[in-house]
Amino acid sequence: MKLTEKDISILKTISLIAGIFTIIVALTMVFSLIQLKAIDPLDNPALTGIKEQFDADPENALKAEQVRAMDLMARKAYFASRRQVETGSYFLLAGAIIFILCQQLISGNEKILPDIPGPKPDDQAQRNKKISYMLASVTVITGIAIVSSFMLRSNLPDLAIKEPGKSKAERVPGASTAAGFNPDGTNYPFFRGQDSRGIAGGLGYPVNWNGEEERNIKWKLMIPKDGKSSPVIWGDKLFVTGAEGTLCEVYCINKNTGEIIWTAAASGIPGEPSVIPEMDHDAGMAVSTAAANSDAVCAIFANGNLICLDHDGNRNWAINLETPENIYGYSCSLIIYNDLLLVQYDSNEKISLMGFDIASGEMKWETMRRGRAAWSSPVIGNFNGEPQVIINGNPYVSGYNPVSGTELWAVECMTGDVAPSVAVNSTLTYAVTDYARLAAIKPGRGASIVWEDNMFTPDVSSPVATDDLLFLATGNGDVACYDAIKGDTLWTYYFMDQFYASPVIADDKVWILNRSGIMNIVKADSKYELIAQSPLGEASDCTPAFSDGKIYIRGRRNLYCISEN
Amino acid sequence: MPLQRSQIWEYMDVIVLIAALLLTTWLALKKRSRQGLVWMSVFSLAYFGFFREGCICSVGSVQNVALSLFNQSYSIPFTALLFFMIPLIFALISGRVFCAGVCPLGAIQELTGYKPVRLPKAVESVLAAVPFIYLALAILFAALESQFIICRYDPFVGIFRLDAPYTMIIFGALLLISGIFINRPYCRYLCPYGVLLNIFSRFSRRHLTITPAECTNCRLCENVCPYDAILPSDMGLSSEEPEKSRKKLFLYLLLIPVFAVAGALIFRNLGPALAGIRQEVRLAREIRMEIETGTEAVSKDAVAFKEAGKTEDELFAEELMIIERFRKASPWAGVFLGLSLGFSLVALTVRTTRTEYVPHRGKCYSCGRCFKYCPVEVKKPS
Repeated sequence: MKLTEKDISILKTISLIAGIFTIIVALTMVFSLIQLKAIDPLDNPALTGIKEQFDADPENALKAEQVRAMDLMARKAYFASRRQVETGSYFLLAGAIIFILCQQLISGNEKILPDIPGPKPDDQAQRNKKISYMLASVTVITGIAIVSSFMLRSNLPDLAIKEPGKSKAERVPGASTAAGFNPDGTNYPFFRGQDSRGIAGGLGYPVNWNGEEERNIKWKLMIPKDGKSSPVIWGDKLFVTGAEGTLCEVYCINKNTGEIIWTAAASGIPGEPSVIPEMDHDAGMAVSTAAANSDAVCAIFANGNLICLDHDGNRNWAINLETPENIYGYSCSLIIYNDLLLVQYDSNEKISLMGFDIASGEMKWETMRRGRAAWSSPVIGNFNGEPQVIINGNPYVSGYNPVSGTELWAVECMTGDVAPSVAVNSTLTYAVTDYARLAAIKPGRGASIVWEDNMFTPDVSSPVATDDLLFLATGNGDVACYDAIKGDTLWTYYFMDQFYASPVIADDKVWILNRSGIMNIVKADSKYELIAQSPLGEASDCTPAFSDGKIYIRGRRNLYCISEN
Repeated sequence: MPLQRSQIWEYMDVIVLIAALLLTTWLALKKRSRQGLVWMSVFSLAYFGFFREGCICSVGSVQNVALSLFNQSYSIPFTALLFFMIPLIFALISGRVFCAGVCPLGAIQELTGYKPVRLPKAVESVLAAVPFIYLALAILFAALESQFIICRYDPFVGIFRLDAPYTMIIFGALLLISGIFINRPYCRYLCPYGVLLNIFSRFSRRHLTITPAECTNCRLCENVCPYDAILPSDMGLSSEEPEKSRKKLFLYLLLIPVFAVAGALIFRNLGPALAGIRQEVRLAREIRMEIETGTEAVSKDAVAFKEAGKTEDELFAEELMIIERFRKASPWAGVFLGLSLGFSLVALTVRTTRTEYVPHRGKCYSCGRCFKYCPVEVKKPS
């Protein structure tokens, strides 16, 4: 592009203005960054003072409110400064781009003054000089390497004396699950099993089957009505829900033969709406998984119908909780703690955690939660001997006392559509959702994020954790294994198909079912090892159930029992 | 870290990479347009830099390849493999066109560097060794599942994402400011992928030329390359006796294995110190210090370790295992550096005859700065 003298003069002026502007913005940003560095919103002296007062008097609701208000104010101030720096970055970038473009245009039109070099250099002499420089610099670098190797080794252990103890050093983490958590090998009572942790008891589950060829398929049953809910098991009975139009049903199936023992209607409950609530067309009324204990089985549907039956299919009680209105439809599964049925109720109108007496259906308490509706399910964890119900919410991941419903802690770290439930082990809680982050949270008073990552973030499937390892499967087809304590990514594998079902750990293996119905079975280990890939023969988004050496998978239409015997 | 992208977009990145390389090759070799290459840099900076936030990039993909080669549990993403291989294939065909206008790290420096100053040859020689060391360490650390240091210490990624630790922002800003005068400082004195491109480009089938036709040996381009990548014509009139050159060549050929062994020994000795990059080793040091001196270990890792309930014996055993792995692997980094030194010396001793001013095929970034200094013109038939 040829420019005139006038054009170049204009460009020089623009370039000068852009240069000065960039320098001013840069200086302002440096000042803001220094200020930000000095600010720690959680270390504000006023906030610390009030927190100390609250710690001394934890029952004081006024102080608790003050702490929350101060905390919010300090965080707002911090993030306002951050926003200023971010805005400044864009100004800086714009100024620099204009400056550079102008300079490039000017230099492209500069007249070239012929530079007549002096005597022609002797190429060989120059090469020899270069060799001398190279040898000199290599000598210097080698000297530095030798000296530093001795200096840096000074605080390492004496390698000559000790030989690495293989048995301990090569200890494979992952063989254990969470300390003190020993899931039952027969009962698989909730969504993702006991305590909804995604860990199943029992051994000897089959790894090879083929649904189409009916290899290792003990029985296959077409569920009368559709549903996305997963099977749960108590004793020899398997429970699953289904719905067609406004008709909702609970099915009790003999887990050994595949015969339907009884079908219970979950419709016609006073207060239920006459039409299907608005929801994602792919969801349906029966997305939430039922919960069972030794006496009862409870189920909830997207129209708000909550029903409790005995193991013979007789209705103990039923109520309608008002239709939870949300864009995708209701999907929170139920969980039982002692004699309380816990319901995570997430609607546009309100979000809460409810505790119902499982015998009478009486609501014992309802705790209003903060934030927006989520599609996750409650999980029971146990930290320092204290049982907690943990909910992955938006924006708070929070823990509640399962007996009283009191909020124990909350960490603001999620955003967007939160569907995965948390994973827990004996020390940490792991919350994740797509387009947000994976956060390892130390639960309890003063709960905080221990580590976080945003490389692998499932949108539907929930993570599962042992004390050493964390596994998750994403909607893009990636499976990742993290060091549960430190957050290092230990391995990843791209399986090419989406995951909606949640991975389950059983028999030292991770069972990861993709949307095409292929079960990917990998070793629950810090090293990736694929054990088998077994097709169901139909698509599935449901999390499998494990019981007495058999695996139960609900496909799009059929329920399968997989067994080698 | 940018958010995960869908597979289709990752393949779109590969398509854009290939298209950008083809266009840059045409601009550098056929069209000979410096302005075109500058605009290509603007595009690459915008797409691969600011839009894709510097990830995935070919420079960092070296580590993915190293990790996948030495760790069977890691499956390299196909796009990462393509990003690693495609620029190298283009280097074999047409030289370092990737550096000319496709690499976002090169582009940001190319656009900011316009008052070139030449560094003294001695300084240049010392700094030129750094990319080789950086590459050796990056491969070593990636292969031993320790760290992706190229990504972690990428000076420009913070600018692309408008977010990074202060130290990296300062480092990036300093490189850009120094780059105004010492053009492309990262490419010349740090880029580990540049080492591979340098090697591959030496065997390129075609390459950018300074002159569009026959060189008149006018010497106007002799000092214009800010990267010292123009080789003057040499009609075989060397000041050195051929016999002496031959002797030196044989000496350096014999020294190649000596350098390799020396490098292996030095790095074997450095291995335990290099293991300190692993957090477990640093944690073990901290805990050992606590045991020996009573100074409480207060780092986040130390607190997490204490809460996790692992024993100190387990930690120390893990530390020893890591150190042992570094001891076994580090010598290979030394061998690579020793061989690189040996072959570089041999290359400098081989006598050549050139009748024209030509770009150094390994060092030339194909940026086209030299085009406008050549007075030779090819007249198109009217």
